[in-house]
Amino acid sequence: MTFAIQTHDLGVRYSLRFTKKTSIRRSFSGMFRRSGGERSFWALREVSFRLDPGESLGLIGPNGAGKSTLLQTLAGIIMPSEGVVEVNGHVSTLLHLQAGFDQELSGRGNIMLAGALMGIDHRVMEEREESIVTFADIGAFIDAPLRTYSSGMRAKLGFSIATAVDPDILLLDEVLQTGDEAFREKSHQRIGEVLAAAKAVVLVSHDMSWITEFANRAILMERGRIVADGKPDEVVALHMEHSERRKMMRSEALAEMKSGRRRPGRRKEIATDLPDRTMVSARRERPGP
Amino acid sequence: MDIASEAPASFRSSAHRPSSASLLKDAFREVIGRQRLIRYLISADIRRRGSDTILGNVWWVLDPLLQMGVYLILLSVILQRSTPDFALFLFSAILPWKWFASSITDAVSSVVRQERLIKQVQFPKIVLPVSAIASELINLSFGAAIVLVMMVLFFPAHATVNVAWLPVIALVQFMFTLGLALIVAAVNVFYRDVGILSGHLIRLWFFLSPSLWAFDSAAGRFGAIEDALGEVGVSLLRLNPFAILLTAYRDVIYGRVNAAGDGFTPGQPPDLVALGALGFFSLGLVVIGAIIFKRVEPAFAKVL
Repeated sequence: MTFAIQTHDLGVRYSLRFTKKTSIRRSFSGMFRRSGGERSFWALREVSFRLDPGESLGLIGPNGAGKSTLLQTLAGIIMPSEGVVEVNGHVSTLLHLQAGFDQELSGRGNIMLAGALMGIDHRVMEEREESIVTFADIGAFIDAPLRTYSSGMRAKLGFSIATAVDPDILLLDEVLQTGDEAFREKSHQRIGEVLAAAKAVVLVSHDMSWITEFANRAILMERGRIVADGKPDEVVALHMEHSERRKMMRSEALAEMKSGRRRPGRRKEIATDLPDRTMVSARRERPGP
Repeated sequence: MDIASEAPASFRSSAHRPSSASLLKDAFREVIGRQRLIRYLISADIRRRGSDTILGNVWWVLDPLLQMGVYLILLSVILQRSTPDFALFLFSAILPWKWFASSITDAVSSVVRQERLIKQVQFPKIVLPVSAIASELINLSFGAAIVLVMMVLFFPAHATVNVAWLPVIALVQFMFTLGLALIVAAVNVFYRDVGILSGHLIRLWFFLSPSLWAFDSAAGRFGAIEDALGEVGVSLLRLNPFAILLTAYRDVIYGRVNAAGDGFTPGQPPDLVALGALGFFSLGLVVIGAIIFKRVEPAFAKVL
């Protein structure tokens, strides 16, 4: 069987020279102070994994671990700085379901816009329009401008669009928690359907119950690297253990700071750092392929 | 069954660096292939403009008229200019200028405005500046209708068949604007200074272009500019793309003011050599703009 996604030594580097707030002045002054500080950082490094059709992968890890960056790279939004990504099949690239929405267009207009953004032929979208509208189940609002929608309605419409485009590979970033109870029930079912169609899913969530329920495989990421890869409940347990340890270290550091043994300037580093030893041992815990 | 045989496979590697020719081909294919997307973006844009104002779409017509009115009052009442049929003289240049200025202003922010979208969806970003420019084209058509109505109703003496040159001149301007728009939209992602600076540069450009004045006419007025800039300065002013464009528009719509400044010769054909040269230059600018845009496009999602 052929793979759905394969990455080899994937790395994504962000340049700190150009960020949202750079101006010409800043980058000029940067030119004269070449040596001053780190000019880039790796959001992902040495990420290698293979995902087969039928697999549902849950990506977990603390904030800033590189989960969203990995998802963006799989979707083709970000190009790798090193290594290779191979994706076999149509990817639903609507990571955050409401990103493509336009406030002035109606619900139907947004369905067509989302389809056009993802590069789906408009005739195909017109065919699917009714089923998307039915699944979203937001009544007459479907013809009203999006700015009149409640956040729940937006979430419903977004989920309906992203899953109705019939992707071979579905990428989801923290989108499953929205909507009311009845809709959650339905979306449960829909994810199950996508999975049953032997298609691959990659989902990022901080809600561990979603990971254990929907994923049949999980990857734990920390500081841009894969720390563990295996059965969801085992990886989730490891993640919990690590978070617990981080929490303890943070409160210890805080206590030390209060007692005046450390200077406050170093606080941030202490709070986020985990000794490398844990990483190594976690690597060893990783189940065999 | 082999899934790979029917589904598209995508392969992205850090080692891959596309050639300029393939970037250009991609840009072209993306714009042609995503016409629907461009159309939806334009319709969203037009709706947005209509929905925030009481007068809604009436502004499409009112806005250019008011702008002309402001300059008409400034120049004929306060500065006592006495060019014959001054309203048409002004409108024939201010309207295309307004088209250019608002196109560039829209295009500069077209990419950075869609930050959220760019980070969450993979789509060809080139549709953003292109649709910004295209929606200004619709805006222009309202203004153009006013000019034609004005000509027929109030200034029939100026009207000649040379008005038929208008689409050609507009096409050259469109290409020039598109090329420049692609460059500024891309650069603004990395240096937000461009957005701030462009507003001021456009204003300066307006006064250096024959919008409120004209070359070789109303001798006294142009003479003052000539004295101030010297011969070299004036030659540079003539090389300005908008010197060629605005003069061409005025030639075909208004005609020429005579040397004494008290009469005019009606519409005449534009300077085709200058216009042709600018056409080639603009085509080159579109090519360069598209390549620059495509070259830096992969970095957008990271920088925004």
